[in-house]
This record gives sequence, C-alpha cells and structure tokens, in this order.
Amino acid sequence: MSSTTETAEREAAALAAVELARNPERPRALQVITTAFDQWTELRGDRLFGDDRAVVGGPARLGSQAVMVIGQEKGTDAMSRALHNFGMPHPEGYRKATRLMRQAEKFSLPVVCLVDTPAAYAGIGAEERGQAWAIADSLLCMLGLRTPTISVILSEGGSGGALALALADRVLALENAVYTVAPPETCAAILYRDAGQRARAAAALRPGVDTAYEIGLVDELIPRASRCGHSRDSRRVAPPSRRALCRAC
Amino acid sequence: MTARRQPPARRLPAPGPQLRPLVSTGTVSCPACSRRYVVERYAAAFNVCAGCGHHGAVPARQRITQLADHGSLELMRIEVGDRDPLRFDDGAPYPQRLARARERTGLSEAFLVARASIGQAPVLLACMDFGFLGGSLGSAAGEIFAQACEAAAVERRALVAVCTSGGARMQEGIASLAQMARCSAGVAAVGQARLPYLSVLGDPCFGGVTASFAAQADVILAEPGARIGFAGGRVIEQATHDRLPEGFQRAEFLLAHGMVDAVVARRHLPRTLATLLHMYMPA
Ligand SMILES: [Zn+2]
Repeated sequence: MSSTTETAEREAAALAAVELARNPERPRALQVITTAFDQWTELRGDRLFGDDRAVVGGPARLGSQAVMVIGQEKGTDAMSRALHNFGMPHPEGYRKATRLMRQAEKFSLPVVCLVDTPAAYAGIGAEERGQAWAIADSLLCMLGLRTPTISVILSEGGSGGALALALADRVLALENAVYTVAPPETCAAILYRDAGQRARAAAALRPGVDTAYEIGLVDELIPRASRCGHSRDSRRVAPPSRRALCRAC
Repeated sequence: MTARRQPPARRLPAPGPQLRPLVSTGTVSCPACSRRYVVERYAAAFNVCAGCGHHGAVPARQRITQLADHGSLELMRIEVGDRDPLRFDDGAPYPQRLARARERTGLSEAFLVARASIGQAPVLLACMDFGFLGGSLGSAAGEIFAQACEAAAVERRALVAVCTSGGARMQEGIASLAQMARCSAGVAAVGQARLPYLSVLGDPCFGGVTASFAAQADVILAEPGARIGFAGGRVIEQATHDRLPEGFQRAEFLLAHGMVDAVVARRHLPRTLATLLHMYMPA
C-alpha cells in the first residue's frame, strides 16, 4: 500500500471518529441527567449577567447520594440546538458552573460535570465579557474545591472550553468520544491557514479519548453501550455511566 | 486528573547561564508607522516607537533585563526533555521546528525564567517569547512555568509573568491542553502561599494562555495596544460574520470591559510592579 493511500485512510478514519463523536443522535447531557439521576432541580443564571443555556446544572440524586450535576448541553433538534448554542458556552455558562460548584462545596456535595462541547463560543460578546477569564476562573475553582469532583466526557471535549469543566479528581470518558486541544477546523486554520484541511488536522491531532487517557488527562474509559455508539436511546449509555458515576462518587 | 494530585515538581539547582549579548543588525523600522531606528536606540527605548508610541515585540531575554533591578538577575535553568507525542509534521517535523526556534531565539523553550528583584522585592520572573513558535504553550513550557511557581512558593518570592502567546501548542495536541491545568495548579500553589502574582499581558496574548495563568493573576497589567483575548478576531469574524467593533480586543478595550487592572506603558512597568509588590509583600 502506498504511503499516500495510507495517509488518506488515516485521515478518513480520524475524521470519521470526529464525525461519530458529533453524531446528533448521541445522548446529550440533559438526557443523561434525566435518566441516570433522580430529582434533578435545575438552577439557572450566573447572578452577574444572564443565563447561558449551553450549560445546565443543579442538584440531583445519584442513588442515595445528593450531588451537584453540571452539563454542557448541545441540544437534540434544530430548535433545542439553537437554544443551547450547540453546546458552545458563553462566559455566563462557565460563571454559572463555578457558582454551582462553590455552592456544592458549601453543602458538601460531590460535583459531577458532563462535558460535551466542540469549544467555548467565539464571538464579540463572549470576548467583551471575558471568555478567557471565565474559563481561567473555572480551572482555578475546580482545582481548589474541597468536595469530590468527577467529570464525564460524553461526546466531544474541545479546547479550554471543555477543560474548564474537566479538571476533576476523576475524569471518565465514553470510549468513542474525542478530546482535543482545539477542534480540527481551528487547528487546520492555525497550522495550515486553511480550515478546509480539517481531515489532515484531525489525523495529526489523534483526537480519540485514548490519547488523553495515555497522558493521564482521562482516568477511565467507559465502554460504549451500543454497537453503533450513538444510539438516541440514552438508557443504553446511562447504565454504564451511572455505574461508573456511583463508583466514582 | 493528574494535575490536581501531582506531587510538587522537583526544583533543580540552577547556576545561571550568561546572557548572550544582542547582536546589532543595523536598523529596524516601527511595525506601525515604519519610522526607522538604529537597533541600539530602539532597544534603549524598550522597543517603543518614539514617533507613534507603538509597543514592539520584546524577546524574553531583553524583557527580563528591562524589568529586573540592575544586577539582580539569575537565570533559572530548568531541564526539560523534548516531547513529540504525536510525531507531528505540519510541513516540517516538530523536532525540526523546535531546533530552528532554539537557534533563532537562543532559548530552550517559549518561557524564560529568572530569580530577580523588582524595586528590591524578591520575584520569580517568567517571561514568554513570542518568537519561539508563537510563544505557544507545550509540555516543556508548562513544566518550566510550573517549576517557576513552585520555586516562588518555596523561596517566598512574588510571581511576575509576562505573557505573549498565540495559545496552546497545536503540535503537541492534547498534551498542550493539559498544560493549562498544570500552569493553573502552579498559580494555585503561589496563591496558597499567599504570595502575590502579577501578570503583564503583551501583544498578542490568546487562547489557552489567556484562559489560564495570564488571567489568573491577582493584578493584571496590559501594554498599550496589545491584542488580548480567547479567540482571535479573524476566527470570530469568519465564524459569526459580525463586524468587529473599533479597537476590539485591544488592551484599552479590555480595560473598559473590566478585564485588566491597568494599561501601563512599557517604561513604567518596573515602577508599577515595584509599587504593587511593596504593598502586597511588606519586607
Ligand atoms: Zn511608530
């Protein structure tokens, strides 16, 4: 086999992994929250500027244990995807998350973060209101929390926008998720000055969570529950998540 | 995640290597107004244009001598191994890009750290060099910053960081993302020791660097006109098709939006840092 064919195949496989992670049929944070947790009570707003629906959160029960669950929500249909901004948080989303984490610490609740974002939102308002500052503060907040923290990467963990909620004591990831320093499009734009070369960037980045597992950024891979790995039926993914979560809490 | 449970990084004893003298190449021109200067004169003005006030780029080596008290500098040599976890090749193999950057800058990595004093206050000075692969944050740079933080905490020094960076180093992939965690843990250690951490944001400062240690300082100063943010203006324009407002992401814009404490001209930086250090770190 020629090396060009090999390269093309590697690029196709890497892109397929990213596409699978982004498959709209995969279970979303809200679906996991409503199936794996009980009595979830949503709390909203960052108390500073607004309520960012790309991040949802509130206390819930995981078995007998009360926990604070915070998730990045991508949405499941055209309307909810727009409502949740495709899972790309503004600064208000990170500030809501840190507000809830500090509240969890106050009441000695473990924090469970469901990470699912291509990246933090890139926009004028997000920059004006300190996107980098909100992420930086969330990182420090997670590092300093005196209550146990667990993060689960559901489908896509992209850039600092994902890390902001993934700096936990224990980080789990669904086996067929991706976790990258930047989305392949952004990486291609930076390195090759051409966002169109995303297949090449995807292959170079080794986006699978196994890479993050190798370097210790992820502690445990949760085997996929269904053969296709992106069943709409969230119950298929919820049981292993729930088991893994109960073990971690 | 490992950063949280990592044992304190090993601090290496450091005989300070000598500063390499800057070699004159004749004249330079201001990137903003094209006015020409003799290199030495431009350097004596801290790479600030006398005509238009534009703050030019400053290599890390020059930066630490500008900020530290005369004769107080002791470079910290921190040995870091080369890592190429992805065998990255973006037109040139990553190790080759590293070698070229080393040759060009005379630095081993994008971070240069030194023990020094500023206005007699003991500091650990960590300066990024944009000329070293765009000041990008990879494993080695992260290691250097983390060790600098550790040294600051152990030796009771304030931490002063000068940040100029395009963000995380793409060539190391996810390992670069982990450095945001590692550097944050370093900042947390300095904070826990109740030592002040002051950051100076130069042009440009973006991505994972702004979204971690650059923005985590107790006091954040920015140089006039510096472009600072999370996502680059070009990326935002392409993604949203919005027209960027006048002065978007410039230091003055960030000051108006409450993200930095002050915009300080380069020649006033040592004095401003010293004043703050004296109040936060009484002798
Ligand atoms: Zn000029």
